[in-house]
Amino acid sequence: MWIWIAAVLAVLLIAAVVGLSVMAGSPKDAYGMLRYALPHMHRGKLKPGDAAPDASLLTLNGQERFHIHDRINRAGGRPLMVVFGSYT
Amino acid sequence: MQIYNDYKDHADFLTVYVREAHPTDEWQMKSNVKEDVCYAQPKTLEQRIAIANDFVQRQKYPVPFGIDDMTNAANDAYSAWPERIYIIDEQGKIAYAGGMGPFNYHPEEARAWLAARYGEVKHDPPMPPYRESDG
Repeated sequence: MWIWIAAVLAVLLIAAVVGLSVMAGSPKDAYGMLRYALPHMHRGKLKPGDAAPDASLLTLNGQERFHIHDRINRAGGRPLMVVFGSYT
Repeated sequence: MQIYNDYKDHADFLTVYVREAHPTDEWQMKSNVKEDVCYAQPKTLEQRIAIANDFVQRQKYPVPFGIDDMTNAANDAYSAWPERIYIIDEQGKIAYAGGMGPFNYHPEEARAWLAARYGEVKHDPPMPPYRESDG
């Protein structure tokens, strides 16, 4: 009985590995996704109507700081589009 | 960048640089190698600033820019990693909250929000490449 359970679990594990590899592009990419991407992926809780959080940022020269809220143009009546990302 | 060019007279824009998505010492993609975008995950603020500057210079990126420091406060506040778009209205409220990239990253949704408010900006279709047989 235990052998059957072990066999089913092994088949499920292999299917999961194959499925992830297909989804990610390769077994190496599947590993990379699980090891490095998954811990940092968060669905996010912010939704329309929520107060926009503030955070301190650095300018490109690294010498000055400003806040996201500094860029909200309340007086001018302009929305602020914020794009988060990186180079790689 | 096209959204920026189309709507910069109506809206403000800010790009926030967060932790790398596919550094060489983590999950590097083949496309990074092909495009010669190979950087290790920054361990210091100086390293992150250097990569951000490389990006702006190599891409000739015109959009106003801010860098998240090594506490990753902006990234955490907005669940930003690896890429995400938000629109904040004049009252400081979230007006549009995009999905988590890459699969749910849809700049066209942000464009649609801006278009609904300020009108659609149309572009001529790109010219087909010239062929000698065309005369």
